[in-house]
Amino acid sequence: MRKVIVLGTLALLCTVLVAGAQAGKQATVVKLKFATYVWQPTTVAANKSIVESWNKAHPGIQVEIVPVDVNSVHDKLLTSFVGGTAADVIHDEAADIAGFTQQGYLANLTPLIPKTLKQSIPKDLWATTNFGGKITGVPSLLQTYNIFANMEILKSAGIKAPTLAKPWTWAQFRANAKKLTTSNRYGVCWGLRSPVAVVQTMSLNYGGQFFYLKNGKWTFEFGAKDQNVIKQMHDMIHVDKSVDPAATGLSGSAVLPAFFGGKCAMTVAGNFTAQSMILQGPRGFNWAMFPLLKGQTQQQVANPQTYSISEQSKNKQSAMFFLAYLVNKQNLAKLALGDWLIPANPEAGKLARKSTKRAGSWKIATESVVHFRKGNWVSLAAYPRWKAEVAQPAFVQYLRGSSSLQELEKSLDDGWNRVRG
Amino acid sequence: MIVTARPKRTKSFQYVVLFGYLVFLGFPLLWMLSMSFKGPRELVELYPSFIPEDFTFENYRTALTEDDHQLVRNGINSLKVAVVTALLTTMIGLPAAYVLARRRGVITRLGLGWILISQMFPLILIIIPLFLLLRDLKLTNSHIGLVLVYVVWALPFILFMLYTYVRAIPPDLEEAATVDGATRFQILIGIIAPLLLPGIVVTTLFAFITAWNEFFFALVILESPDLTTLPLRLAQYVGIEGVVRFGPLAAAALLATVPSLLLFVFIQRWLTGGLLSGAVKG
Amino acid sequence: MSTVPEVRLPRRGRSRAGSGLSGREAMLLLIPALLPVVILSVLPLVRGIYLGFTDSRAGLGVPTNFIGLDNFRALLEDDLFVNSFKIGLIWSVSVTAIGFVFALGLALLLTQNLRGRWLARSLALVPWAMPAVVVGIMWKLVFQPQAGILNETLRRGQLPGETTDWLSSFSWALPAVILVGVWAGMPQTTVALLAGLQSIQDELHEAAAVDGASTWQRFRTITLPQLRPVIIAITTLDFIWNFNSFGLVYVLTEGGPAGKTQLPMLFAYSQAFEYGEFGYASALGSAMVVVIAVVLVFYLWGRLKETT
Repeated sequence: MRKVIVLGTLALLCTVLVAGAQAGKQATVVKLKFATYVWQPTTVAANKSIVESWNKAHPGIQVEIVPVDVNSVHDKLLTSFVGGTAADVIHDEAADIAGFTQQGYLANLTPLIPKTLKQSIPKDLWATTNFGGKITGVPSLLQTYNIFANMEILKSAGIKAPTLAKPWTWAQFRANAKKLTTSNRYGVCWGLRSPVAVVQTMSLNYGGQFFYLKNGKWTFEFGAKDQNVIKQMHDMIHVDKSVDPAATGLSGSAVLPAFFGGKCAMTVAGNFTAQSMILQGPRGFNWAMFPLLKGQTQQQVANPQTYSISEQSKNKQSAMFFLAYLVNKQNLAKLALGDWLIPANPEAGKLARKSTKRAGSWKIATESVVHFRKGNWVSLAAYPRWKAEVAQPAFVQYLRGSSSLQELEKSLDDGWNRVRG
Repeated sequence: MIVTARPKRTKSFQYVVLFGYLVFLGFPLLWMLSMSFKGPRELVELYPSFIPEDFTFENYRTALTEDDHQLVRNGINSLKVAVVTALLTTMIGLPAAYVLARRRGVITRLGLGWILISQMFPLILIIIPLFLLLRDLKLTNSHIGLVLVYVVWALPFILFMLYTYVRAIPPDLEEAATVDGATRFQILIGIIAPLLLPGIVVTTLFAFITAWNEFFFALVILESPDLTTLPLRLAQYVGIEGVVRFGPLAAAALLATVPSLLLFVFIQRWLTGGLLSGAVKG
Repeated sequence: MSTVPEVRLPRRGRSRAGSGLSGREAMLLLIPALLPVVILSVLPLVRGIYLGFTDSRAGLGVPTNFIGLDNFRALLEDDLFVNSFKIGLIWSVSVTAIGFVFALGLALLLTQNLRGRWLARSLALVPWAMPAVVVGIMWKLVFQPQAGILNETLRRGQLPGETTDWLSSFSWALPAVILVGVWAGMPQTTVALLAGLQSIQDELHEAAAVDGASTWQRFRTITLPQLRPVIIAITTLDFIWNFNSFGLVYVLTEGGPAGKTQLPMLFAYSQAFEYGEFGYASALGSAMVVVIAVVLVFYLWGRLKETT
């Protein structure tokens, strides 16, 4: 008797399961994986709430977040691409997706991008993810490099802060740094542990692109406009002696103790450092973030965070549907506030400004969007290798004074010819 | 006089050196402990002090509770993976070690050769094919896959330790049992295992810690946050461009070290005597 | 020797006298360990070595071709590779040698009857209880040039070096990471040597002491020779582990500044996971095995000659 009951129950269970599976098929819930490297608790929370509200509103397309460690984004994505386990929606940055695009792992979004999304982001930013007519990423958040100043020190030295209308030029910056250098203080603490990004981004102030298309081939050049910024940085360290040489080996955030402690009057760092100023600065610390430095222009290279869709994804259309929601102006503003980064959509920038008390630095940050330009290096597939294997060691050596400008040029050029293959 | 003075001088010299070791070994730990009790402002102070000035438990609270107690959940994952790895490794390692110790021949030589050689291969050679294999077995992003990898990874050294322990046991005991008609399995469980208990405990601990601390395989194999292990979680406190959340990191790192430390305390007496002593004698 | 086993003489001449373990029994006991090892270790390894002879690289639908020794030829011309192997050898030899001396000193102290010995013994084991990620981050905190405790201590003690940025100085980065390597490697080496010391019979020492031998003489003539097998075993293992190590230096310096701490494994890792050059990275891995093997042959051969 008992056997019969057991068997009967099993049979019933099987029927229910099969029926359930069929019912599930009829409803066809699309499941999307969304790989993201957001890491600041505030952004993690913002990201989560965006996905939750999406899932609630769209029972037919359910999104699952797959967090990626921010320090091994490329490695982790590559592994998942090669293993065929890649997420549908992928969070990365413009300079990194060139390689993945070349390797064929990212879907061409050009036919998928909705018109409203296309129009909400400036052309110069779309250019950073456009690889020969194929757009493989949607630009989302960006950063600039700015001067942060200890206003008490500047005031007592009689130096006024620049304004959006009248930004400092490199010459003014150098002169003021020198003026602010005393026997127990440096004008600038500059964390140049990884100098390549900051040098190449700011070199656009003088139009320095480093890579130029000559006869259909990307060639490396190190002319006057490319050299200008790194040479000035070098001279500030070694000629003016207005930059603390002991701090040049640090990361941008590791110089903050010295800056907070008044050992230097200014520091140059990503605009998101404003957050550390507020959270970590001494109570009542009087600081300011200055508008972008000016060479011939105030232009800086745009290397935005991006959202892409995997070529291996079976649900590209749904993925784009979600992606467009993810970067709508309200959501982008939320993400931007979490990371203290600049939204690619200027409308989102305005929203972000409205919803924060720290209007000063946000105003300067969001006004910078117009100065973003495409840097040629951002879309070269061989660039990440050149940056890591060639430029990083060569720039560090030059900035430390252990190689000359000629030697720097030679190793950068030789390196590019080797890496380009 | 001279005879007594010399040992005394030696003693004080020994104490000085011992103190040096204590500083070298303990200094970084104390510093991390100190940082774990500091507020965000004090953490970046220019002239830091060893003793926190505005002492706070906030970092521990943050570390333990943020993201829905993510740290705790990841700790449970680590515990699960490490315990299963440790038990499994010892369970399959002991019979194999017994065979290697009690039999001379091709198998033994191959086995011991493999143990040595396997130590020489860098991870890079194995990680890519291994990942593809696990994918084909549908074992990526699963604790089962991770445990299997850890078992295989920890096995050579475990096998070697157990092998040397078994060799130190005289075979006479088993012979008597064989005469009495005991099966090989009964001998292993009834005679060898109890004799080896300290060794087995130490080996299991070794496997546990190997799995508990492992980062690289976990990074490659796991992806969903519900499965993440502690070392992966700890790495997440380091953000871009060197922005590190020092306070919660220090707190979480100390918390992550506690389970292994507790284990050490429990088996101290076996540890110093037992660990590798078999290996040494063998 | 007991006489009982005479009744059951081993059936096979090769099996150890008295154990009587049949081939079938042996197989049964081995299989649970053998199976996972073959599937998850031997097979991937063979495939990994094979990859080194191909042009395998990342890319959707990119075919893999057998290219013979091309990768190895390319390696020899790659300055970065040659450089990383030099650094790898300096790193692993230094960490192994310094770590050995430190551990031997500590192990000797721990056999003495000293107060506070328990603390040193526990502390010596602590690095083992910490994930490499944590060890790396912890030392990074110590080495921080401005808010770190090392420079603060130097400053208060008015010692030189208080402004040195240890981990990004061209001349100090490698020594600094070597120091961390030594710290992290203390447990296994100390424990192994301690176990070795404890197995040396006290009678030998006492006899020598009665003969009027000094501490140093006893150390040289009794302790060291008795310890030799342990020393060779643990230094060999340490060397291999260090040469193949990755996590610690990755966290501390990522191979910087300017490649001054670029260990072979870091280099190989970036070839595979940054640039997707799987074939090249595998060839690098095989080259690492060769280098280790060559060094070990010389080392073990030299030690063997000493003993005979």
